[in-house]
Amino acid sequence: MSALPEFENHAEQTVKTTTCYMCACRCGIKVTLEGNEIRFIQGNPKHPVNKGVLCAKGNAGIMKQKSPAKLTQPLVRKAGTERGAGEFEPISWDKALTLLTERLRKIRETDPKRLAFFTGRDQMQALTGFWASQFGTINWAAHGGFCSVNMAAGGLYMTGQSFWEFGDPDWDHAKYFMLWGVAEDHASNPIKIGLEKLKRRGAKFVAINPVRTGYQAIADEWIGIRPGTDGLLALSFAHVLLKNEQFDWDFLTRYTNSTQLVIHAPGTSDHGLLLRNDEGELQVWNQATDSVASWNDSSHDDSIQAALFGEFLTPGAKGGKTNGVADCTQVKTVMTHLAEKYLSEEYAPENVAATVGIDAETIERLALEMAHVAFKETITIETPWTDWTGRRHERFIGRPVAMHAMRGISAHSNGFQTCRSIHLLQVMLGAVDCPGSHLAKPPFPKHVAPPIKPAKAMAPNTPLASPPLGFPMSPEDLVVDANGEPMRIDKAYSWEAPIANHGMMHMVINNAVKGDPYPIDTLILFMANMSWNSSMNTAEIQDMLREKDEHGDYKLPFIVTSDAFHSEMVNFSDLVLPDTTYLERFDTISMLDRPISEPHSACDSIRQPVIELDRDVRPWQEVLVDIGTRLKFPALTDADGGAKFADYKDFITNWEKAPGIGFLAGWRGKDGDEHMVGAPNPDQWQAYQDNDCFFEHKLPPEQRYYRFANKDYLEWAKSVGFNGHAGPITIELYSEVLQKFRLAGQGLYDGPQPNNDTDRARLVEYFDPLPDWYVPLEEQRVDNDKYGFHAVNQRPMFMYHSWDSQNAWLRQIMAQNYLYMNRERGLGMGIDDLDWVWVESHHGKIRCQVKLMEGCNPDTVWTWNAIGKQSGAWGLSDKAPESTKGFLMNHLISELLPSKDGERGLTNSDPVTGQAAWYDLKVNIYKAEKGETGVYPSFKNIKRLPDMAESPTVLHYHTHEAVNLERSMEDALSRGHLPTGEKR
Amino acid sequence: MHPALSVIFFTVTAGAGYGVLFLLGISRLTGLTPDASPDQVTLMGVVGLVLVTAGLLSSTFHLANPKNAWRSFVRFRTSWLSREAVFAVLFYPVCLIWLACDFFMGNTTTTNFLGLLTAFLCIVILICTGMIYASLKTIRQWHTALTPVNFVLLGLLLGALILGFMLASQGLSTATLMSVALGVVVLAALAKIVYFYWIGQPAGPTINTALGFTRATVRLLDVGNSSDTFHNKEFGYQVDKVKLIWLRTISMILMALLPLLLISGVFGEVGSSTLLLAALSAYAGVFVERWLFFAEARHVVNLYHGFQRT
Amino acid sequence: MKLGLVIDLDTCVGCHACAVACKQWNTSGTTGPLTDYDPYGENPSGVWFNRIRSFEVDEYPNNKTVNTPMSCMHCDDAACVTVCPTGASYKREEDGIVLVDQSKCMGCNLCAWACPYGARELDEDAGVMKKCTLCVDRIYDEALPKEERQPACVMTCPTNARFFGDFDDPNSEVSTMVRERSGYSMMPEVGYNPVNKYLPPRQRPKAPTVEKKEAASGQSLIGKWMKRQKDAFNDFGKGAR
Ligand SMILES: Nc1nc2c(c(=O)[nH]1)N[C@H]1C(S)=C(S)[C@@H](COP(=O)(O)OP(=O)(O)OC[C@H]3O[C@@H](n4cnc5c(=O)[nH]c(N)nc54)[C@H](O)[C@@H]3O)O[C@H]1N2
Ligand SMILES: Nc1nc2c(c(=O)[nH]1)N[C@H]1C(S)=C(S)[C@@H](COP(=O)(O)OP(=O)(O)OC[C@H]3O[C@@H](n4cnc5c(=O)[nH]c(N)nc54)[C@H](O)[C@@H]3O)O[C@H]1N2
Ligand code: SF4
Ligand code: SF4
Ligand code: SF4
Ligand code: SF4
Ligand code: SF4
Ligand SMILES: [Mo]
Repeated sequence: MSALPEFENHAEQTVKTTTCYMCACRCGIKVTLEGNEIRFIQGNPKHPVNKGVLCAKGNAGIMKQKSPAKLTQPLVRKAGTERGAGEFEPISWDKALTLLTERLRKIRETDPKRLAFFTGRDQMQALTGFWASQFGTINWAAHGGFCSVNMAAGGLYMTGQSFWEFGDPDWDHAKYFMLWGVAEDHASNPIKIGLEKLKRRGAKFVAINPVRTGYQAIADEWIGIRPGTDGLLALSFAHVLLKNEQFDWDFLTRYTNSTQLVIHAPGTSDHGLLLRNDEGELQVWNQATDSVASWNDSSHDDSIQAALFGEFLTPGAKGGKTNGVADCTQVKTVMTHLAEKYLSEEYAPENVAATVGIDAETIERLALEMAHVAFKETITIETPWTDWTGRRHERFIGRPVAMHAMRGISAHSNGFQTCRSIHLLQVMLGAVDCPGSHLAKPPFPKHVAPPIKPAKAMAPNTPLASPPLGFPMSPEDLVVDANGEPMRIDKAYSWEAPIANHGMMHMVINNAVKGDPYPIDTLILFMANMSWNSSMNTAEIQDMLREKDEHGDYKLPFIVTSDAFHSEMVNFSDLVLPDTTYLERFDTISMLDRPISEPHSACDSIRQPVIELDRDVRPWQEVLVDIGTRLKFPALTDADGGAKFADYKDFITNWEKAPGIGFLAGWRGKDGDEHMVGAPNPDQWQAYQDNDCFFEHKLPPEQRYYRFANKDYLEWAKSVGFNGHAGPITIELYSEVLQKFRLAGQGLYDGPQPNNDTDRARLVEYFDPLPDWYVPLEEQRVDNDKYGFHAVNQRPMFMYHSWDSQNAWLRQIMAQNYLYMNRERGLGMGIDDLDWVWVESHHGKIRCQVKLMEGCNPDTVWTWNAIGKQSGAWGLSDKAPESTKGFLMNHLISELLPSKDGERGLTNSDPVTGQAAWYDLKVNIYKAEKGETGVYPSFKNIKRLPDMAESPTVLHYHTHEAVNLERSMEDALSRGHLPTGEKR
Repeated sequence: MHPALSVIFFTVTAGAGYGVLFLLGISRLTGLTPDASPDQVTLMGVVGLVLVTAGLLSSTFHLANPKNAWRSFVRFRTSWLSREAVFAVLFYPVCLIWLACDFFMGNTTTTNFLGLLTAFLCIVILICTGMIYASLKTIRQWHTALTPVNFVLLGLLLGALILGFMLASQGLSTATLMSVALGVVVLAALAKIVYFYWIGQPAGPTINTALGFTRATVRLLDVGNSSDTFHNKEFGYQVDKVKLIWLRTISMILMALLPLLLISGVFGEVGSSTLLLAALSAYAGVFVERWLFFAEARHVVNLYHGFQRT
Repeated sequence: MKLGLVIDLDTCVGCHACAVACKQWNTSGTTGPLTDYDPYGENPSGVWFNRIRSFEVDEYPNNKTVNTPMSCMHCDDAACVTVCPTGASYKREEDGIVLVDQSKCMGCNLCAWACPYGARELDEDAGVMKKCTLCVDRIYDEALPKEERQPACVMTCPTNARFFGDFDDPNSEVSTMVRERSGYSMMPEVGYNPVNKYLPPRQRPKAPTVEKKEAASGQSLIGKWMKRQKDAFNDFGKGAR
């Protein structure tokens, strides 16, 4: 081989590791630098999340760093100019922070709830939530409410673990994998890594999705479901499983509440609650003695034979008690209720086929395939383990059916119950946290539900007593005032959305501008593009942001935005606090937050700056600690008001949530040799930097499965602060919590009840204690003959929401989105490729361009999310296709449901969790007239920011002169044909 | 294929020049220009050379990096473009010496031999140019022997008419040349008709073979870029069907029918103005023909960009 | 040696990671920079070596989506090389990598015309032809750890759909895979003998199902289970979990 030149001058290169933040997957990266320029970003092969691979976005980090839309300095809206007009002036950091602190100080001293602090796609909710609690406002939440709280709540109120970022399929053992409504998800790289593993092992991959692209492309079977009907499909699967006696008796009896007894006492406040004794212990029916016994005893004592099925009457006469259990009470096991409900013919495949758009034989076959894999292809892992009762098991038995689901399920107003229905299937198959099934990622599983209640009490200058967000267990836990009216600005935890565990960010601007429930003073937005792609009804939201009262003052007086780029939201801000990029700052990705853990290891990680700052911007983390110190938050200052922490790094190192527990779990203790729990370690950051910026605690083999019942795991989880106690995590197929709300709706609850019929009816209708399906709310209210199509979105794998259109490489892949339709359906309507069409919803209309495709449910249209941009934002020219042809569906989606007579405006959200129902959208489509082209609506061009450089017209990015590989002239002259001179 | 004007101008104009020089080169031996004096031959030869040179210069506009154009002689062993370049350069001294001989020595054996050699090189170059396109398996509309045949015939056609005009305008006899021209026009038109018929036949790779899925329909879903790329700019060119028929008709009328009628005396006596008209018409006709040659060529890579067949 | 890639269409999800990784590595690589024109304007485009296209095979509801990443196939009979007049295009004797010597190219585009696969893109700004180098500046760089001496696109692929290796070695991973999975060439009829091979999506045999039970009404089933549950209970512990 001829000698090769030296292509790279390695001596002048340095390699640093950190954590990617081109999206929330948070992969480990190695960044090769030449001076302050990035030569190459690659995956870190040692990293537990991505194991060396990197997605398209991660690979485009250079162009994010080079973005002309990067903010360069703090800005204030020019006095006397209109909000949204884009007139800004630079302001020094010092002045900006003084200004903001003064404003906040006044709020905090008087009425802390007049500060609303909401954060978007961030992964530092532990910090922002801490900050809000210290400030003393309950008006804090992150993006979960408009993102996927249905998945979190659906899981946490049933199995203690959930889909979304909180668990993963067991890619190494699953033999059957069913993917429900996922285009990309947060585990962007891990899912891809996993799918490959599955396919190489020959497992079957079934994708349920109205559209066949991306992951669904490689599925062995594609089920092109009609949107919003997955719950019905899942329950029909359940029907088939029951009909064919395919459910895991053992699993149901041991680990779920299916043997517990539901009280039958219609018209009383006990109806539908679970039978308990005076000590509050749940009861089962002991077949051996034909009497009740406590569930806990039945778990430990083999002589108690808990009945799975049956309807019983406790002995004695009405009014009396035996062993603390009410006499003469009619009870039925949870499993009986469940079987009765799902065996009903309404769930028979032939009766759901037309609604879901899948033929009955297929539905039945899929259910029986899963049953086959679960029960006839059972796997074992020969590791002895001990359950919580102390019983030793010789091996882990696996039912290798795994599922994963995301926004195709959660972004519907029936998403919570649908998610529960999918979990129900897993539970019936015994496929929860066992080999081959869906596995929790530490700190999950948690007890159902985690014992944190949302804060409601507030007082001036006082931190909240509990976090703003938590898990209501009964109507008493709602955040409503004495009259039952919402107390939070987003109306989370009100009767309209009682289990709104992640808040309802999508309602904040609407409510605040209407002063409903009350006006606020300041809105701080961090990493959320609320005047564009993350709001429903974008055009009117922009108007609301400009809306003034009769004195000419803005109804939303002051908006502060922390962003790193010139987004649409920056344009609508009064104060802009520019952030660093992910390559320029220290950051923690904490176990107190959204975990980056893997199923078999608890992990956390950090970011470190790999390139030097060249602008007057500050990490938001630093800014938060700084403001909090100026405001003298008790956790940040000592008794005489002095700063406890020098800066963000110091805060992370030394602050403890509970003794020994802080933001970072690795290398704790004075000498850095304690993990998970330990005293602060002054050198902790360095330890992370020395360890590729992540920490991984691998679970020992005996702790890896059945963690809801695994003694060793449960004890460890308690010891490291994941769970409050080491008792078992019982899977709640029947949710007493939901039943309590339903009783409140029925007027039977012994406690708070809603004060109006609308809320009552919703509680009765949607709070079924067993997984249930109903027609999505928008579909219930619109004329479905007119609005005949479902309209949904998908995440493009190479774009992250709004923030990658500024990326010169990624936008070459896509700078315009189309409306995709089923080919035959489109042609039948006279619509062909690239035609412009009008798309109309009950709320508004848009004009966009169509592409026809095969892999699309005929009743569905869809597009890629957040490609459309407001002209002038993101450093793009006003001719950029993103703003001239690209479009958002958000204009069609109303934040309120179509109104009904006499009813107040109801949020377009899941009635249980308040999850934004983006994908309930129904539309009507017709061809635009000849000559009607270009996107509609279009928006005013956004002005450039002061001192913002012109975007370059050509790029020649490279870090060094290329070393050309020369061909010798001799070779060029002498070589005949190809290498050997002969044609092969 | 995107029809680049510089390349069209080059192949048409240089082709005409080679046509002129070919006919001049063999004229003494074949009696095409029985009454031309050596300096008249030389003058006409110089006109031919000017055409060739103008064409060649234009061709360099097509190069993105013309400073390396000199390197194009290197791969004579395999590259038709290199061969064209080598012969084109070889051609100059031969042609110049011949013209000088003709000018200074008149009708000698040496002159005639050099004339023949020049004529031979002209044909070789026309064939090379044709082969540049004909050798591309990626474009079935080009990958045919008809391509070099066409380049040669159209070069000769233009050459004959231009030469005829030059003879007539100097009052020289054009009779023999015109009968040759008549034959060339007819042949060229026939060849072109055969060509049109041939490219109209379904053949060549389809999206099914391109992708390896031959048992069902295959359609492009996403090309992977929403704006332009080098490929769609270079290869994505498509002409509307109706426009295509029009252009084909226009080119056939201009390059064949009208010249044929003109030189066969249908519109009256064949004088210098008739021949000028015929030459101009043919030039315009061939220009359109050459535009179509590119515009109608469908590169196989288009299959990956949404075409069903080539 | 005959180096090239195998791409597994059974696992490729069309994520474009390989395309961007390629862009990223190569813009500072041996034939860099890979110029971008109008990067923030109306018609953003630029030089890429690797592009991902998606196709749909067959029609609804039998449709299957297939994602096809395409870069230079390093053809055995690479006409892009034979047509090149300057000798800038060449196929390396030692490993079959097809390269463009940037200092020799005159930007005539002929090689791009000769390539059936769209693997060559002219850098309009530099005036020279560019293409996949098979990351020649990675695979032989001994300063890199051994496992990183691989093309950038292969290292990054999240579904591990890309494999790099020597097709001359019958025991290499790539040769074995092509043999066992009926690896094929795109558009073989043009006769370029591409070295890169594609593995077709797998046809999986029908999955077994548990046998269907006789139809029974819901109530009778629950009645039956109530009767049976004592026995069922006593069976626990045997297969106990
Ligand atoms: N590349 C990239 N990755 C991302 C993001 C990004 O913007 N870009 N965003 C991140 C965020 S914030 C989130 S929340 C996650 C979301 O990740 P995903 O859950 O993958 O969200 P979507 O892309 O909205 O995909 C929803 C899928 O559900 C399908 N669908 C719609 N309605 C239904 C239905 O009723 N039933 C079924 N079965 N399917 C349906 C759609 O066709 C689509 O394929 O992705 C995260 N990861
Ligand atoms: N129609 C429709 N709308 C949707 C969805 C949908 O599927 N369909 N999906 C919804 C979902 S699930 C979500 S999660 C939301 C997402 O919506 P958002 O949370 O608003 O997400 P992004 O658009 O990514 O905007 C985040 C902002 O963060 C800024 N940013 C980026 N990096 C940094 C940084 O390092 N620091 C700071 N301070 N700021 C930074 C960006 O510039 C951008 O302005 O969209 C929702 N909207
Ligand atoms: S999935 Fe991609 S963008 Fe997200 S963190 Fe990982 S590499 Fe970065
Ligand atoms: S990186 Fe892998 S999965 Fe993604 S497009 Fe490329 S080959 Fe396909
Ligand atoms: S793919 Fe194209 S560029 Fe690559 S060797 Fe084959 S013909 Fe040449
Ligand atoms: S463009 Fe360059 S590499 Fe291609 S054929 Fe012309 S000279 Fe050769
Ligand atoms: S081998 Fe290297 S140059 Fe070729 S496509 Fe892959 S990354 Fe690009
Ligand atoms: Mo989200």
